[in-house]
Amino acid sequence: MSIGAHPPCILLADGNEQSRQMFGTFFSGRGWSYDVVPDSSAMAGALEKGSYDIIIADVELSGPDSSGVLRDILEKHPSQAIIAVSPNTTYEDALKMFRSGATDLLARPVDFGWLERVVQQIVFSRRNDERERATYRFVTKEQAEMRFSCADLAQLSSISLPLVGRLAQSGMLSHTDALKIRLAVQEAVLNGLEHGNLELDSQWKEEIELDGSDRFSSVRRQRLADPRYSERFVYVTLEFGIGRLEITVRDEGKGFLNAHVVQANGKVDSLACSGRGLALMSSAVDEVRFDKNGSVVTMIKRLHERKSTEDYGS
Amino acid sequence: MEFPTKVIGDKAYIRVTSDLDTETAGEALRSAFNEVYEQGNRTVVLDLSGAQIINSYGIGKVLMCYKRLKAENGVLMVKPLDGFVKETFELLMLDKLLPIDDSNG
Repeated sequence: MSIGAHPPCILLADGNEQSRQMFGTFFSGRGWSYDVVPDSSAMAGALEKGSYDIIIADVELSGPDSSGVLRDILEKHPSQAIIAVSPNTTYEDALKMFRSGATDLLARPVDFGWLERVVQQIVFSRRNDERERATYRFVTKEQAEMRFSCADLAQLSSISLPLVGRLAQSGMLSHTDALKIRLAVQEAVLNGLEHGNLELDSQWKEEIELDGSDRFSSVRRQRLADPRYSERFVYVTLEFGIGRLEITVRDEGKGFLNAHVVQANGKVDSLACSGRGLALMSSAVDEVRFDKNGSVVTMIKRLHERKSTEDYGS
Repeated sequence: MEFPTKVIGDKAYIRVTSDLDTETAGEALRSAFNEVYEQGNRTVVLDLSGAQIINSYGIGKVLMCYKRLKAENGVLMVKPLDGFVKETFELLMLDKLLPIDDSNG
């Protein structure tokens, strides 16, 4: 695997002097460029001044909570690769770091041969991404269409939206906005499936059996096995044009919209059995429009200005 | 998928170890809740630190737990929230409904 003429540029955040020296010797021996900071505050400061292919960060850094700092960094730099270094590779450590956005986890004592392979893989992938982003800034329009049967949707744990990922990578959406849009689409598709195609009534969620199951779930299972319902489709269209992303979700049912579920002041009733999905959709985008009694939902998100050419490092 | 549970004193804890946005995760929560509920626990604490996302389906399951406890004068609490899950709770005003448990359980 070649990483070309540009060697990795690394920010090492490590509170231990001896450990910093070991890493430094290793980086120098491979001709990699690097900066060293002793705590998480200095790490955040270094990122204000420069950019790095990879941050290698000790999970036990002194200073503010390391996982919070990682999240803050990823909010500003969504594509930043971070390798977390931990003295213990417990499940809790790994989960906390990955949830905070770490790309990989490195256990102490450090296996430098393994570290070299991981760094090469990350940098190789990063160089490819940089080339793609450099090209994507010339794209003025892109459309994606997806079609799911009810049976497909019952099997899928989540829907991947590569177009939204590209917009986030190119800086036109923040990491959080991309996450919210993913959730909004999921909510719209779920509404299309359950209240549109399967014609389920939200009130059935209130009818609880002794075992804790509800009528809504049991009818849902029955209708997913009934071709009259399960062979209906949900269509998702994403269209990116200059300055905006428009997402349309369409089902083949009679419509799910119940106007009463969202109160006039835009607040949702916490305890109501429905309406939360609509509130989540509304919070994710700038405009939500319902047509054909909710069988067609259109969500519009205004996009940030594109990054300048220099920001792509190409 | 199973969510681990434990009882400390008069509180039962359920640790949600995945995003709460699928039927599988929702069923895991229901199953863990049933387990502690049937043991007689009426103060239940959800630890959602393992979830990055919660959607309306997951929230529906959380509220189902809330309603079953409330019907028997029980309490559903949550460990301190952060990130997108905290934002979602605030948006849906669930932070007003479910008290925070900041003990070390």
